[in-house]
Amino acid sequence: MAPQQQPEKRFYEVGRRRHEITLMPDGTEVWRRGRVPLTKRHWLAWRGVSNPKSLRRERRLLDKRPLWWTIGLGGLLVATPFLSDQAINIAAIFCIFSAINVIWTLIIGTAGIFSLATMAVVGMSGYAAAAANVYLGVPWPLMMPVGALVGLVLGGFLALPSTRLDGLYYALLTLGVAEICRVFVSQIKALAPANGSINQVDSFIPADWLLQRPGLLLGFFAAFALLLAALLVFRLINSERLGLLLQAAREDEAFSEATGIDYRRARLWVFVLSSGALGAIGAFYVMFYRSISLAVFSLDQLLLLFAMIVIGGLGRSEGAVIGTAIVVLIDKGMLDLGPLRIIIVTAVMIGVALTAHNGLTGVRAQFRNFRNRKKSERRAARTEKGGEVMPEEATEIADKQQVYYRLFDKRIRDRLKAQITPELIAEHKAKPLGQHSDALDRVLNYFRRGEMPDKYAILRVGEYTSSTYKVLAFSGRPGHPPRVVDDKLYATMDEAYHAVFLLRVNDLLAS
Amino acid sequence: MATQRIYGYADPWSIKAGEQLSFMVSGEGLGAVDAQLVRLIHGDENPDGPGFVEQEVASEIPAQLAVRRQFTQVGAFAVANDPDQRLAAPGDFTIYAFVCSTKPGITRQAMLSKWDITAGKGYALGISPEGRLEFWIGDGEMIDHVAAEIPLVPKAWYFVAASFNAATREARLTQIGVVNRYNSLIGPVVPFDYGSRVVETLRVAPADPGVATPFLWAGASEENDRRGRFVGMLYSGKIDRAGIVGEVLAPDVIEALARSGSMPAGAVIAHWDTTAGYTDSGIGDTIVDVGPHGLHAEGINRPVRGMTGWNWKGRADSFRLDPAQYGGIVFHDDALTDCRWQPNLTVTMPAELRSGVYALRLRSAGAEEYIPFFVRAARPKAPLAVLMSTFTYLAYANEHLAYDALIAQAITAHTPILTEADIAFNKLQEFGLSTYDHHSDGSGCCYSSWRRPILNIRPKHRMSSMGMPWALPADLSLIWWLEHSGLDYEILTDHDLHAEGVDALRPYRTVINCTHPEYYSENMLDATEDYLCAGGRVIYAGGNGYYWVSGLRDGEPHCMEVRKLDAGSRAWQADPGEGYLACTGERSGLWRSRGRAPQKIVGVGFTAEGMDESQPFERMPDSFHRRVAWMFDGIGPQELIGDFGLGLGGAAGIEIDRYDLALGTPPHALLLASSHGHSDNYPLVSEEVTYAFPGRGGTQDPQVRADITYFTTANYGACLSIGSIAWSQALPYKNGDNNVGRFMRNVLDAFLKPGALPGSEFVGDEKLWR
Repeated sequence: MAPQQQPEKRFYEVGRRRHEITLMPDGTEVWRRGRVPLTKRHWLAWRGVSNPKSLRRERRLLDKRPLWWTIGLGGLLVATPFLSDQAINIAAIFCIFSAINVIWTLIIGTAGIFSLATMAVVGMSGYAAAAANVYLGVPWPLMMPVGALVGLVLGGFLALPSTRLDGLYYALLTLGVAEICRVFVSQIKALAPANGSINQVDSFIPADWLLQRPGLLLGFFAAFALLLAALLVFRLINSERLGLLLQAAREDEAFSEATGIDYRRARLWVFVLSSGALGAIGAFYVMFYRSISLAVFSLDQLLLLFAMIVIGGLGRSEGAVIGTAIVVLIDKGMLDLGPLRIIIVTAVMIGVALTAHNGLTGVRAQFRNFRNRKKSERRAARTEKGGEVMPEEATEIADKQQVYYRLFDKRIRDRLKAQITPELIAEHKAKPLGQHSDALDRVLNYFRRGEMPDKYAILRVGEYTSSTYKVLAFSGRPGHPPRVVDDKLYATMDEAYHAVFLLRVNDLLAS
Repeated sequence: MATQRIYGYADPWSIKAGEQLSFMVSGEGLGAVDAQLVRLIHGDENPDGPGFVEQEVASEIPAQLAVRRQFTQVGAFAVANDPDQRLAAPGDFTIYAFVCSTKPGITRQAMLSKWDITAGKGYALGISPEGRLEFWIGDGEMIDHVAAEIPLVPKAWYFVAASFNAATREARLTQIGVVNRYNSLIGPVVPFDYGSRVVETLRVAPADPGVATPFLWAGASEENDRRGRFVGMLYSGKIDRAGIVGEVLAPDVIEALARSGSMPAGAVIAHWDTTAGYTDSGIGDTIVDVGPHGLHAEGINRPVRGMTGWNWKGRADSFRLDPAQYGGIVFHDDALTDCRWQPNLTVTMPAELRSGVYALRLRSAGAEEYIPFFVRAARPKAPLAVLMSTFTYLAYANEHLAYDALIAQAITAHTPILTEADIAFNKLQEFGLSTYDHHSDGSGCCYSSWRRPILNIRPKHRMSSMGMPWALPADLSLIWWLEHSGLDYEILTDHDLHAEGVDALRPYRTVINCTHPEYYSENMLDATEDYLCAGGRVIYAGGNGYYWVSGLRDGEPHCMEVRKLDAGSRAWQADPGEGYLACTGERSGLWRSRGRAPQKIVGVGFTAEGMDESQPFERMPDSFHRRVAWMFDGIGPQELIGDFGLGLGGAAGIEIDRYDLALGTPPHALLLASSHGHSDNYPLVSEEVTYAFPGRGGTQDPQVRADITYFTTANYGACLSIGSIAWSQALPYKNGDNNVGRFMRNVLDAFLKPGALPGSEFVGDEKLWR
């Protein structure tokens, strides 16, 4: 290639990068990469690079979330058996609520349907499962399928209006549905004779272990398994086919529709499947408490859940879990504080909503953006447009010659600017081609050696014998045609040559 | 109305009257075009000349020609000949190659594949869009892959291998750097850890993609409703020895293979020894499989053979010296040497057709195409032959200088002038490159072929970067002048000269070159010399001639090869060790570097070029000698010769040649005229610059000039050389009534007569110069 005499137009990422866990493997070692069973995914998204500074071989990990999940959930699993009975109970409740919130996040985040009927689905499925067990004698291992089935049916009904009603209206509708469910259940005396509750439900926890430590531990381990199952469901829906379809739709609805993605259908599917999962959780909820009461439909319970996902950050499973952890700790862990707990939860929620764009899980990215913005503002204040390369940019430019070219280019431009005089322009106008004065030759030679993107050319319009001319600018990319600079037509070649010259002089003086 | 486009080409380019040729045409937005055979007389539409002149010629060509869209496969690749489908779905297998990728990343590239892109079936060893070596397989339902840990370093040699165990679905990918002191862009001091060895258990096993999907080098098979099967995922870079074995080779066997490159023991299905089949006089397109089944691969669009291989040690600088170090085959994703279109028309030209430059003119409401071709006399009768520079036309075919060459504007001192047709053509990026362009990986293009539509041989075409006609369209000015002068002439082409040697010239008393006979083969130089020795008369009326060592492969005249080497005005430079023509085995570069400077044959050779303005010639003292004074009959002693012309307003300019005894100008050559006053946009050419110092431009360096020289040869032969491209373009000025034409007429009147030339008796010692 001809040597690039002027800096290429490119933007370089400058400043600090995100920290990556870095290993230093050897190229002669065999790397056996494990995969998550039944998938093509690797356990960790390791990235092999040659360190651009040292060319040392490195294996880096940018996405550390799998590690955080393992540490967080693993810690909970290992630590809980050593906690007090009350704390074990709190941990179990945390797991159940987390599971609900993770699935709810699928509905709100992945499907983008703002439904508040979550607890209604959980509750109705719970009642159905409890009733099936208590009145129809369905054994407890079948309660969860019953719950899931009821959840699916309810989800199907609730999904119908979701494409008709927008955001807030749909939320109000679902809130109404929740209330209807509560009233409905409380009115059916046959179903729940005692204050709308069904008690004495069978469970995976043997009746004599109830409220005993083994029972509590079993409850916790089961709830933990429920949370893992919910996370698996989240992963399967959010990161596989359905989720990817919806991700495309979120980026550009019209475009994804044009490429044949039926994102409305995908939304409904996510909603229905999530409702089924909520139904199963409802059944689990009943088994865990061995009873169910109307409190499950209560508005304050729903709002508490809502606070959890708002604090954690909408749309992400880790947000749902972290938010749940915080609120459960406050609500269940600080029982002695009494009603003050609700005020604290509210305060945290307001604090997060006011300061963070997307809950606590978004805080790091938000801070990073803020810091980068401040840094680039400071850099911008220090540098001159089109000037020399900043040190922090130079470290990122692989071809160091470009750094020199930019410096050289700036200086040559500064010198040539002083050469531009009315006489020089008149000289070019009189004779665009051929031998010129030294000053004009230098100016022209600088122009002619310019980089290809936006370099000027002339368009001949019409037949050669009766042509006029326009000014073009090259794209600099193979196969990408030049663009017409303006609509001015020039009658002769010499006028067109001079028009290009004037444009270039203008660019030089403006730089 | 849909945009209408017509593109076409003729094959062969040059025929004798009465012979047959075919026209390949592609039309878009139309179903039929008006066809007319025309004789091309003048191309340049410059109002200072006669304008565009063509003559319609009656022929058996139908007035309407049905056309349809024809598709072009770009990219160099090779197809293995595998009739028994041994490469289909080999169960356990190991596939390996030495590779040197020049453009890893951005798009997926397949290096060795039996892969159906459309169906997602088969297997391939290639490069991922992230630039990593990747082995991928698919069964039509699911595609799975194993990738190397680190990206490939561009322009560095690797041994790569992938093995697949069909029972366990375990895939092992091995990448081993084999960079030595010579073979790669970077050397051993760079502490890269090139290696990578990854083992993964895949979820699928490859399914047989079927007979329709061939085993390919440097691409993978794809299908499209309108186009049918074609090759995508094209690879840019080198592949040296490669093979496939029907078992999972043990890691230590693979490591040994990376060190030796020789065929492994075991159930070899194919082992291609890329160095097999080389001869002293060139290399063909077949990649030889030395394995048990002979599954040879056939190169399409001329993968460049005989290039430095993975084991190149730098001492041998040609494949002829040590073929074993020259196993590199270079593939380019934008190479094109044959469009392989179906002929729309195959006709026999009438036996009585006059020799000349012809074209099939195709027109529709919204488009026009001229497909030029050359007709020689069935039996030469005229005393004068015009040698059309078909090698040069190929060299410049579809040049992209205005768009892609950063320095083009600095060389030409022009702002490029484009037309809508130029822009539409460039946008297609479909019809290949010239030997002035770079492939997408930055390396130079060494092959150019006529089996593709060529924009810049259309008779009215003006070269964008210079705003004037170039090569064929410019050469037509000489044709017009000969027609206008009523001289009896016939035409020949470089290809005829190359094929037939001096026999092609012998029937003629005088042969005249066109404006720019830059690309010459050894056959052509030999023929010109032999012709002059035998009493032939040559008018070398052009600039920068006999410059590049060029070649054709026997039996494939459509594709010309050149390697631009260490000297000369070169659009690119071949990589070290790659200066020999694959098609003939000879060293390319400048003829001057091989002991045959053009001065040695015709008296003048390239000295400067510039595209801002041309100058006139002025008579030099020798021109008054009676040996040559007759050439200047009617031209005054101080008269400027050619202070006009269609080539930048003068007869001396664009590319200019000079007399130089030090470069072999015959010692008795006379310097008849020279040009003065060239601008600094005419710098002395780089092969003359040993030490660089300021002031090598036209205003300061006396070597920047065009010369007219004359010398006689044995048997009444003679050579008149006018070292300027612009000369012929001055002939049509003022309807031919000008002193350039007068000079030419004086010379030709004498040259076309047999026997002694005028003035040849004045050879005694002289006391008086007149």
